[in-house]
Amino acid sequence: MLNGKNIYKPIKARLTEVIDESPVIKTFVLIPEHEFSFKTGQFIELSVDGIGEAPFTPSSSPHVADKLEVTVMKTGYVTEIMHSLKPGAFMGIRGPFGRGYPVEDFFGKEVIILGGGCGLAPIRSLLYALEHVKDKLAKVILCYGSKTPADCVYKPLFNRLNKIEKFEAYRTVDKPDDEWDGAVGVVTTLLDNIRINLKNSVAVVCGPPIMMKFGTIRFLEMGYKDDQIYLSMEKNMSCGLGKCGHCMMGEFFVCKDGPVFTYNELKNTPDIWK
Amino acid sequence: MQYLSIKKEEWDKTIEQLLLSYIIFAAEENEFGIDYEVVNPSNITRISYNRAKPATSLKTFFLPVKENVTTDPSVKKQRIILGAPNCDIQGLKLLDEIYLDKDFNDLFYREKRENTILIAIDCFEKQPHCHCTSYGIKPWSTDDSDLAAILIDDMIILRLISPKGEEFVKQFSLVHALNDSKFISAIEKAQNASESLLFESNQGLPDYKSTGSIVKKAGGAIWKKYSANCVSCGACATICPTCTCFLLIDKPGFEKIKQLDACQYPGFERVAGGEDSLYELPNRFRNRYMCKYAWKPEKFNSTACTGCGRCIEACIGKINKNEMFMELVK
Repeated sequence: MLNGKNIYKPIKARLTEVIDESPVIKTFVLIPEHEFSFKTGQFIELSVDGIGEAPFTPSSSPHVADKLEVTVMKTGYVTEIMHSLKPGAFMGIRGPFGRGYPVEDFFGKEVIILGGGCGLAPIRSLLYALEHVKDKLAKVILCYGSKTPADCVYKPLFNRLNKIEKFEAYRTVDKPDDEWDGAVGVVTTLLDNIRINLKNSVAVVCGPPIMMKFGTIRFLEMGYKDDQIYLSMEKNMSCGLGKCGHCMMGEFFVCKDGPVFTYNELKNTPDIWK
Repeated sequence: MQYLSIKKEEWDKTIEQLLLSYIIFAAEENEFGIDYEVVNPSNITRISYNRAKPATSLKTFFLPVKENVTTDPSVKKQRIILGAPNCDIQGLKLLDEIYLDKDFNDLFYREKRENTILIAIDCFEKQPHCHCTSYGIKPWSTDDSDLAAILIDDMIILRLISPKGEEFVKQFSLVHALNDSKFISAIEKAQNASESLLFESNQGLPDYKSTGSIVKKAGGAIWKKYSANCVSCGACATICPTCTCFLLIDKPGFEKIKQLDACQYPGFERVAGGEDSLYELPNRFRNRYMCKYAWKPEKFNSTACTGCGRCIEACIGKINKNEMFMELVK
């Protein structure tokens, strides 16, 4: 082999635990065979041997070096096979890729995070990263919506966040069940009641495309400027290297130029919500 | 530029000798036209010079249709490619920007680039859809290749282009400095004639500086009209010297196969959740033009359409992008 890293070759990682988060979402705890680190918001390509790979943003803390957690929703061929894997199996990891959240740019500010569905996976990693530097932040507010109470991932996270100084966490569901006594409605309704110093704030949006669209519109209505809104974009990232072309969004390669963009960077790009 | 000369007969013998240490691919005449073939002692005389482009674009030698990218990328034997037209050589510049970028260097591409001697040809003729000059590209090579080989009478004239090319010709004992100006005059005359012919036959075609704003402004009706005959076969992208999109396919043992892909195939941008911004055919069709003329020029320094015209030749729906541009500038 020549000197230099083969950008296409995955490293192996042992699956040590599978956590059921919801009927269709599982978190995989992985121990990579080689040293592996990432910045919050960056993504990896996770593969099942001989089957395929798909892009995921790790949901664990970027400050934990020895293991990695990836939360996967069962939506297609590869993720369905991932869901059948048991501890002891080996998976492949390539990455980390792209530009994550610029945490240092959030210093001194109030961070409001709007999340929906499985979008809480990258947000959980961001929350861990923000907790790590909480002394340097003014406030962190999480507003999260899921379709039903059962669809909510990381249920213990909310109680934990509310116990951390400067952190607040709110939940809503579209369709409540008999036991639900919290807010009902789309996730943007949670923004009606939060108190935030808009001028000294940044907004982070991560979730399904439709939620990203209306979340961004709501933040703009509230008075956020285009460069105060951070979006974590989802496209068909395949190589992760800005080469294969599958994630092109206008002149951007989402895998390399993103996946985290400010709305200001994307506002003139067509079809960003598709 | 510095020129050397060698008798054609001696040149053919030299190529035969080079076969001992190189794999040589050359543009050759066959019953269908001109295309690259692996050179062996029996087909050296069929190598074509001064003709227009081969059917296959140069990218195929650096980005094979299928390649296992988890094996050893080392090239086992040095390669010579003889007969590359300048449109394809200019196309390699974009591939270099993408595959040799400072953040993610593709070892497989780099190995092939570094271990290939690229010998260009001068196009002293044009094929029906050639339009390189419309995009600022000349039908002969003066940069980014190593040498150019031109046939004048019974002599092969070699134009030295890169230091690698200069080093390469040092091994040929029968190559002489070219002192006879009649050969240079003959080359220049043929070059000028070819360039004039290209300009004349492509009059009115917008240049590469204006194509970006033209496609950006184009309304939905034009994409609908020109995509009506598109069958999403992807031939345009496959044969294009600058289309480089690929798919990674997994094989047991965590191996990855890099396979050429095309944005014209349905599902190219579909994500697992089902969203697909290129689901509609006119959107997919428009995407390729936006990529070549608007987005790539914003992101890279090299031209993403070299005017080779192969996409027009390859299209089974007879879609002619030059006719589309002419309609757009009407």
